Amino acid sequence: MDYILAYLSAKLPFLVILFVLFICFIMPVFARWKKEVTPYLTLFAIGVAFAISLVLAYRVAGGEIIRYHVSDWRPPWGIEILIDELSAMMIVLLTGCSFFIALFSFRSLSHEIPDAATGWYYTLYLLTLATMIGMVITNDLFNLYVMVEVVGIGACGMVVAKGEKLSTEATLRYLMLATLGSGFLLFAIGFLYQMTGNLNYAFVAAELNRVKDQYPFLIWATMSFLTVGLGVKAALFPMHIWLPDAHSSAPSPSSAMLSGLVVKVYIVSMIKIYFVVFGFELFTDTYMRYLILFLASSAILAGSFFAFVQLDLKRRLAYSTVAQIGYIFLGFGLGTVWGITAGLLHIIIHAFMKVCLFLSAGAIYYQTGTKKVTHFSGMGFKMPVTMAAFTVASLSMVGIPLFGGFITKYGLALGSLEANNPYFIVLIVLSGLLNAAYYFPIIWQAYFTSSAGTTMTMDTIPKTMLIPIVFMALGVIYMGIFPGRILFFLEHFVIRFL
Amino acid sequence: MDLSMLWVNYPYVIAIILFSLGCMAILTQHNLIKKVIGINIMETSIFLFFIALGNIKGGVPPIYDPSLPENVLYINPLPSTLMLTGIVVSFSVTAFALAVIVKLYYFYGTIYAPNIMRMR
Repeated sequence: MDYILAYLSAKLPFLVILFVLFICFIMPVFARWKKEVTPYLTLFAIGVAFAISLVLAYRVAGGEIIRYHVSDWRPPWGIEILIDELSAMMIVLLTGCSFFIALFSFRSLSHEIPDAATGWYYTLYLLTLATMIGMVITNDLFNLYVMVEVVGIGACGMVVAKGEKLSTEATLRYLMLATLGSGFLLFAIGFLYQMTGNLNYAFVAAELNRVKDQYPFLIWATMSFLTVGLGVKAALFPMHIWLPDAHSSAPSPSSAMLSGLVVKVYIVSMIKIYFVVFGFELFTDTYMRYLILFLASSAILAGSFFAFVQLDLKRRLAYSTVAQIGYIFLGFGLGTVWGITAGLLHIIIHAFMKVCLFLSAGAIYYQTGTKKVTHFSGMGFKMPVTMAAFTVASLSMVGIPLFGGFITKYGLALGSLEANNPYFIVLIVLSGLLNAAYYFPIIWQAYFTSSAGTTMTMDTIPKTMLIPIVFMALGVIYMGIFPGRILFFLEHFVIRFL
Repeated sequence: MDLSMLWVNYPYVIAIILFSLGCMAILTQHNLIKKVIGINIMETSIFLFFIALGNIKGGVPPIYDPSLPENVLYINPLPSTLMLTGIVVSFSVTAFALAVIVKLYYFYGTIYAPNIMRMR
């Protein structure tokens, strides 16, 4: 027994992907044979993965960096799995959030996609989740590329599952641009392999440090290819054009997953490649940091502005994602301890906020059939719990103290002071005001313009849809009041690379 | 800058030209099938790049043979094997894109992108 436990605990970093993939591959059998068990099986798979991630994160919090060599091939040749603080945070976030989204889709899914497709939908869901986990814990460039492609296909499948005109068209655009992005990524990996002859992050970094003076142009080309390749997929501002259509026309659980989690894993990979492989000096010396800073600032302003003019609720939320991606990149571009830590923290906070908002939008559509932001009159009395959660997430988006979003904005402001660049504080405040301009009208309508009287009635949506929304809102409040532990946890990661 | 390097490393030059052509086809063609062809050109150019990366002039396949002299050069097999995975990925993306295009044709009755935009 002890032997088995010791064996399993050594294999845990690999099991977290393998278990989800295994359930994913047997899911089609159940989809045809016993469709009603597929949601339970999904919840079980994600629950086990969540438990494993918590164990791994606990070990990482104890100061250990977990390495695992797949089928015992040593690093320069084999694939290595490495779990540091950032990866540990990401796998807990991915499995935790997707558990709640799966719980939500339990009842809402049959409402939004064709009945025959629900079993297959869970297959795609688990496939996307497993490969996202793979992306954040892998330490090998080519493995990263394969995972990126599979996440891309899985995410497109989750959008097209709705089977409507708009979602099909959005999927094609998403697929084309995602493939373009992964082409650029693969070319950049080819350049790195040419310069260094390795694919493992640590070995590429060591070799690159030795030869970087020999290939100034090639390094520059590699970095721009990487920025384009992963930037398209992470919807960095001028390359965001696929995002609003794809995220707004998808079924609500997919929208939550895509907006809250999928775009984040590309950013995490980008941060890992820039910090671990290239190193911070090269990132600054090639002016890539200033480019990202510029794109992030324009993303914050343009995303907020586009969101302001949308009337469809889910489109407004999708454009808001473009702006919020800008915050993460802004922190990353500022290049100071506070800035980067706040950017990384925003990955968590934005995941909670956006999942909460998209799920609320789905719940509102489920109960009332409303999609437009102009039809929210009296919503606060028809669906009090959902609207309360929506309000919490919106306040956090605007950056009111005691909610998660405030911590990020505060951290970014400190970061820009550290970087001797106080102009970004103006940008942060301005974008907070813009956020208020497009979230507050919805809340105002919902609570203060009721034409149908103000009698309170309880939400009539199923409990399995209500619980995820409430938990995400509680997560936002928790992050706003007790961010300290996670900030320290992430700071360890940042300090190691600065 | 030594231009003769371009001639010596001609597979890389061809790969870059094909890559640019593929990108352009994806971004500028209006016919959706041509866009998919663009994806394939782009990915194939990357395969060419990787395979040229592993090759050495005068090298032999990396299989041990006692009859060969001591100082023989072996080519690097790793990029070629990586591209096997790349081909599988490219194949599945193409299949998926074509399936989506079939569905679009079913909805709109055309595969010409501007017509689809107009019909929305």
